[in-house]
Amino acid sequence: MTTAAPQTPVPPAPGPARGQGRPTQAGSSAVTRKAQARLGMLLVTPLMVLTAVFLVFPMANAAYYVFVDFNGIDPSPPWIGLSNFTELAQDPDVWAAFKNNVIWIVVGTTAPLVVGLAFALLVWTVHRGSRWYRLAFFFPYVLPQVAVGVVWGWIYEPSRGWLNRALEFVGLGSFTRGWLGDPDTALYAVLGTAVWTAAAFVFIIVLSALRNVDADLMDAARLDGTNSFQRLVYVIIPQIMPVFLMVTTITLLGGFSVFDIIFVMTGGGPAGATDVLGTYAYSSAFQLNRISYGTTLALIITVLAIPFAVMMNRLQRRLSLQGMGA
Amino acid sequence: MRTSVLKGLALASAGLLATACTGTSTPGGDEGDGDAQSIRWLIEEPEDAAALKSLEQHVATFEKDSGIEVKITTLPFDTMRTVLQTQLRSGEGPDVFNWGSGPSFGGALARNGLIYDLTDAYEENGWEIYDFAKEEVTVDGKVYGVPGELETIGLFYNKEIFDELGLQAPESLEDLDAVSQELKSADIIPMSVGDKDAWPGGHLLSMTLSSAIGSDGMEQLFSGDKSWDSPEVVAALELWQDYNEQEYLPESPTSVAYETMETMFYTGKAAMIPTGSWLVGEMDDNADFEVGYIPFPGPDGPGIFAGGLGSGPFISAGTSKTDAALEFVDFLASPEHGEWTVENFHTIPPQPIDTQGLDVSPLLAQVLEDTAQISDGGDFGYNIDVKVSDAVNEAMYDGVQGVLTGQRTPEQVAEDLQAAAQE
Repeated sequence: MTTAAPQTPVPPAPGPARGQGRPTQAGSSAVTRKAQARLGMLLVTPLMVLTAVFLVFPMANAAYYVFVDFNGIDPSPPWIGLSNFTELAQDPDVWAAFKNNVIWIVVGTTAPLVVGLAFALLVWTVHRGSRWYRLAFFFPYVLPQVAVGVVWGWIYEPSRGWLNRALEFVGLGSFTRGWLGDPDTALYAVLGTAVWTAAAFVFIIVLSALRNVDADLMDAARLDGTNSFQRLVYVIIPQIMPVFLMVTTITLLGGFSVFDIIFVMTGGGPAGATDVLGTYAYSSAFQLNRISYGTTLALIITVLAIPFAVMMNRLQRRLSLQGMGA
Repeated sequence: MRTSVLKGLALASAGLLATACTGTSTPGGDEGDGDAQSIRWLIEEPEDAAALKSLEQHVATFEKDSGIEVKITTLPFDTMRTVLQTQLRSGEGPDVFNWGSGPSFGGALARNGLIYDLTDAYEENGWEIYDFAKEEVTVDGKVYGVPGELETIGLFYNKEIFDELGLQAPESLEDLDAVSQELKSADIIPMSVGDKDAWPGGHLLSMTLSSAIGSDGMEQLFSGDKSWDSPEVVAALELWQDYNEQEYLPESPTSVAYETMETMFYTGKAAMIPTGSWLVGEMDDNADFEVGYIPFPGPDGPGIFAGGLGSGPFISAGTSKTDAALEFVDFLASPEHGEWTVENFHTIPPQPIDTQGLDVSPLLAQVLEDTAQISDGGDFGYNIDVKVSDAVNEAMYDGVQGVLTGQRTPEQVAEDLQAAAQE
């Protein structure tokens, strides 16, 4: 039971030091902070453990493997220093794969952004049935990439594929070919499939951002006599820019790490024509049993991707600080 | 906050790229039941669920007779290739597993001490395996496995189309050229070739090279006495380049998947298909015409079948259930099991089989007869991909695709093969 506080100040009586007796307000805060800290630690522990087990440890492991020659069997692989890096620099297949990665990053980032934005703008202006349009345009993104790759493989098939049949039907039979088996078209054919799915992702994210575009600003722009293109460039895009940068970052980084769709559709062939660093790393590590060389390649992919990730996020943060965004 | 999270996600996803190849985890495992009468058998994923069910029922007879429980687990071939070594090395692998019998498959594992030595088991159990097949699972004088089914590679042809056009099965490359011209004139694709999956390219080279230089020449290539950039190898590659240019093959063969290549033959769009005896069962099921099977013709004669061994059983060196595993392998090496595989999987076992009374198709009966003749001393070429290193295989797969697409010349591919062989 507590007593009422004295009306007049009195000198402190000898007794327990501050904080050691009845809890004061400050003492109570300290206890709460400690409890909060403990709770915080408890809550982040599972994530830290998962990060340590699935990220930090494998990363450290990978860092070790790049300096040895591990074939997947030998428990004591020989130390070879920087040989994996020097071999990689002189390997013409790596440069061919890197060139394909660059093409993938440029086309595979630009095309989905343009297509996704275009469809999002179209659906944004449609009111009747927009739900069905959203569903239809987003559908490719939720399909498993393996299934997408297999089905598009059928579409590109030279004799029975829909694409060649459609070309023949409209009188463009001279353009028919084995899309995935022709080294001149294989990469772009796979890219076409990837763009189809990535554009769906861009579409749904951008459409969500468009819902938050300031209608008053749009009306004001209309009253000022702007045309559609001007409103897009000067009113809409600045407002959705942070979201647009976010999808750009994700799509761009996907270009560095692309693997599954190529692996399913061409396996990197014909004769390496569609190999990117990811598929080349896989074939080196798991088909040629050159685990260390494959790991070195994967590390290079990471090193190449990080500056872009950091740069894009800095840009996004700067825009957020400037108050841009829907 | 959002930026930090995004950056964290970006870095984490980028970091995961670098960790993807290190293979630190061990899928599968023994599940540690510790029961000496329970073993795990890892096999390549069968073609369909019905095949697996049939195998499980067959193994159930062994379980009933022996009192040993066999837990069958399956993995796709590519996954198995990736995880098998890790599993065996970790000691958490299967007790018995089916894997390729050649030097670059089981041989590689044996050289690294990952497989139990079966030399004594052969003597104790009296397993009757063809000598040439047994050699494929022997390393440094020790027999480390039971060879898998025999697989021959040659040329299947549609007898109905050949009869309609009055054609005879080709007995030389010159004949093959003439037959192909006739078929092309009749608007039929002469040879159904699909090399989208890359590995069929290895079979194409195997059969043309085997028929050109015989088993002796092939052995010289494998031993290094003959160079891979020799004129014979170049000529064997040129042959496929020429067939492609002459339009004896489907349009853009590197776009054609193996299944599509099969369909072209079954539907009569193509009259011949160069592939292996593993397709006999499917031929019986899908082709509504009589099928002939001949060696791929050689430059001066009918040529020889190329061949190799499929996946056979091995015992993990790390198993703690050796007795049960040996008893199960004894079952798999028995003639009774061989006969069962002939009737149910239409495969050729690596031991002499009495086909009298067996329910087999005329095509399979012919294949079994051909194999028996080979084991009696007939010349037999090689399926290259089970005899050489992964580096040579990769050079061969990419090389044949490169020749068919015009990306590489036969000379370049032959040089790549030689460079890979010297690695």
